[in-house]
Amino acid sequence: MMILQTSGLCKRFGGVHVARNIDFGIEKGEIHCLIGPNGAGKSSLFRLILGAHAPDAGTIRFKGEDVTRTPSFARIRKGMSVKFQVPGIFKDLSVRQNLVISFQHHLHGHDLEATIRRVLGFTGLTGLEDQLAGTLSHGRQQWLEIGMAVGVEPSLLLLDEPTAGMSPEETRQTGEMLRELNAQGVTILAVEHDMSFVQQIADRVTVLHFGEIFAQGSVAEIISHPGVAEIYLGASDDE
Amino acid sequence: MKPGLSGHPSLVDVAPMARQSALKLWLSRLEGPQTMGRGRGFWTGFALVVLAAAAYPQFADGWTVGNTAYFLVWTFMALGLSVIWGYAGALSFGQTAFFGLAGYAYGVLTINFGAAYGFTLIALVLSVGVAALLALVLGYFMFYGRVTGVFIGIVTLAVTLVFQAFMAQTAGPEWAIGKARLNGFNGMSGMPPLTIPWPGGEIMLYADVALYYVLLGLVVLVYLGLRMLLNAPFGNVLVAIRENPDRAEMLGYEVRRYQLLAFILGGALAGLSGVLYTAWGQYITPSSMSITAAALPVIWVAFGGRKDITATLIGTLIVIAVYQSLTIYGSQYAIVVMGTVLVLTVLFAPEGIVLSAAKRVSRLFGKGRGK
Amino acid sequence: MFATAFSFLYQFGDAFAFLVIASMGLAIIFGMMGVINLAHGEFITCGAYVTATLAQKGLPLPLAILGGAACAGIIGMILEITIIRRLYHRPLDSIVATWGISMIATQGVLIVLGSTMQGVGTPLGSFSVGGYSYSTYRLVLMAIAVLLLLGLYLLFYHTRFGVIARATIQLPRMARATGVDTSRIYTLTFGLGAALAGLAGGLYAPTMTLVPTMGSTFIVESFVTVVIGGGDIFMGAAPAAAILAVIRAGMTAWQGQLFGQIGLLLTVIVVIRLMPGGLSGWLLRGRK
Repeated sequence: MMILQTSGLCKRFGGVHVARNIDFGIEKGEIHCLIGPNGAGKSSLFRLILGAHAPDAGTIRFKGEDVTRTPSFARIRKGMSVKFQVPGIFKDLSVRQNLVISFQHHLHGHDLEATIRRVLGFTGLTGLEDQLAGTLSHGRQQWLEIGMAVGVEPSLLLLDEPTAGMSPEETRQTGEMLRELNAQGVTILAVEHDMSFVQQIADRVTVLHFGEIFAQGSVAEIISHPGVAEIYLGASDDE
Repeated sequence: MKPGLSGHPSLVDVAPMARQSALKLWLSRLEGPQTMGRGRGFWTGFALVVLAAAAYPQFADGWTVGNTAYFLVWTFMALGLSVIWGYAGALSFGQTAFFGLAGYAYGVLTINFGAAYGFTLIALVLSVGVAALLALVLGYFMFYGRVTGVFIGIVTLAVTLVFQAFMAQTAGPEWAIGKARLNGFNGMSGMPPLTIPWPGGEIMLYADVALYYVLLGLVVLVYLGLRMLLNAPFGNVLVAIRENPDRAEMLGYEVRRYQLLAFILGGALAGLSGVLYTAWGQYITPSSMSITAAALPVIWVAFGGRKDITATLIGTLIVIAVYQSLTIYGSQYAIVVMGTVLVLTVLFAPEGIVLSAAKRVSRLFGKGRGK
Repeated sequence: MFATAFSFLYQFGDAFAFLVIASMGLAIIFGMMGVINLAHGEFITCGAYVTATLAQKGLPLPLAILGGAACAGIIGMILEITIIRRLYHRPLDSIVATWGISMIATQGVLIVLGSTMQGVGTPLGSFSVGGYSYSTYRLVLMAIAVLLLLGLYLLFYHTRFGVIARATIQLPRMARATGVDTSRIYTLTFGLGAALAGLAGGLYAPTMTLVPTMGSTFIVESFVTVVIGGGDIFMGAAPAAAILAVIRAGMTAWQGQLFGQIGLLLTVIVVIRLMPGGLSGWLLRGRK
């Protein structure tokens, strides 16, 4: 069953097509990675799914419901959850406050407290709840945001470069964390740069190129796909 | 501290727990991350201040007490601006428009319908409602038009100045609503003070001891009410929006609705000040909405510390007291001093002077306790 | 028929000139630096007072007006160096600080110079069309408004200062890396905005009573022009002034000046709802 499905999705900025006729779906229960060279339209597709941009044409269905014109906040309420590339945390608020704000529309009182405790444990932030979020290390800020995104179990977790700026060890731990969430039933879509990380976590991979879907398949299929390496090599010149 | 990954309960199941009663829940919100001050020490101090304020009329004459009541009149507008600017992060320069509108509304209502049967209290509520309605309309256009930052400031200020110019030209006899003459630049006067129906004779609240107690009660009520509201989920969302509106949206909050609600709350509180001011002095003039008058709430709140209502309250009372004592030397000098206070606060204590001082003190205490 | 048409055209031109001249200084400082200068009105007052003083000392009016603009510009640069500079990363605080400066300036003028000042008469007399008489000086103001826009266009798009200033505004780090003294550019830009406000005061000094609060009669109009226009002068503020001038001229002819102002404000409030990003955002949409 598809949890999210786009059909004929188009978006252009000025003369540039950032999304061209994209038909794309995420299966319930999978970890799906979105890859592609710089400027391939990964972030744009991500933002279209979130509702941060409105598409010029096409539709987006989430859990069977047409959400093409639904504003971002309402999509979140329907069960999407997001973690941005640059940590989207409230830096001048405490870790605890960040978590309370993220969970309070679903949970109250003791349930809220229990969830906060569990997320703190899960993200390794126990004992740091009174610290201002902006004073955490970069890796911990990333984990905090993951915690904010998953405390209230989302139907679909959207991650934009979840490991950007992390050390290899932190990256590996993040991968384990995502796998574990997935085992608990969370469907995940991740925009990712780091191919070894993709190999670690992905069930399926979609490759974008110039705003179009270039290839789609399992990790093994994508790695052995001759064109994929080519577009990466071709694009590496202008990086 | 590496993330623990195994041997902990799933994120999904939540043990059902007994729910707190609603009253207990709201009382617990008297303390929280959005308001300074907690624990026995703070509340003892709070009780002592309230007691001292309650005892004060025993040691002063009625005229002085009435003058002190005048200070309290303004605090609601300041608290409202703190909510909009300090908590929700939207700088409104138009608080005095709500103040003036509610003041005029009170005048029009009570001059036309009198003060019998406690009507002044109904007029108070209606006038605050009118101010809230203006805030709703103006706020709708601004926040749903995605106006942000400095534009909110200049749109609200422009509204205030145009409203002032409009009221200032209503001198002619054709400008009257029922029996109430708007009276142009000289303003409206002759409205009755707040009147409480009481068995054995109504209590007229002239600028005297009785009014002082009513205002003191209102200040305490509004202050505690705001503390609970700001530590409630609503307050959490406001500070989230102040810190990062895009992220708040992506956590599932309709940012503009919350901003609008905060704006309405702030407008209603400014309106409350306007009604109380009009009832206190039994007059209201367009100059209460002039550009200088509009600057004063900004100065009080900036000086106190906009991100905290306690700091705002203390700062407001300090600045008004200083301003009052300076006007003895001429109000233009007082205004120069106010302008200077504003510039210096922004440059050297952007958090607000009272709030910075309070943070320093609490840090000292914190160290003392080895926290 | 012709007389009516001329009358409306004159009203429109007058309103357009007023909106352009009153708002340019505010628009430049906002567009280039993101700072709303609430002391804008006081720079206008400053220009008007200096102009009147110099004119009474016997200086020809055009020179006196330039003197007023120069004086406002210099004060602007001093303020930029002492106060505004510290607040660039805090735009909301900079608007608050300029409000404080505005209060100090208005009351300072009141204390030092009293509540009114002797003005200068309106020069150039009048002419009449179809039985109504019109001020020739206001025609000159219309021409000046157009010349001013042209001059600013040349300044920002065809001089070294303009190129560097635009580069500094768009890519401050890049500009610094190529050896541009960005803080000097900010000082000059703020000074230019203040000087334009002073120029507005000088130009309108002969048409109004000189009081310390005269600047505040300009600010509502300049605010609405900048709010509708957005950050871009040529694609925003100037066309906004043209559109607003039609509304203001119409409302003023119908109900008087105050209603002209109310009409402007209501237009603004409706427009911001329909056109987020202002006029320049709408005109420049799709360009990215």
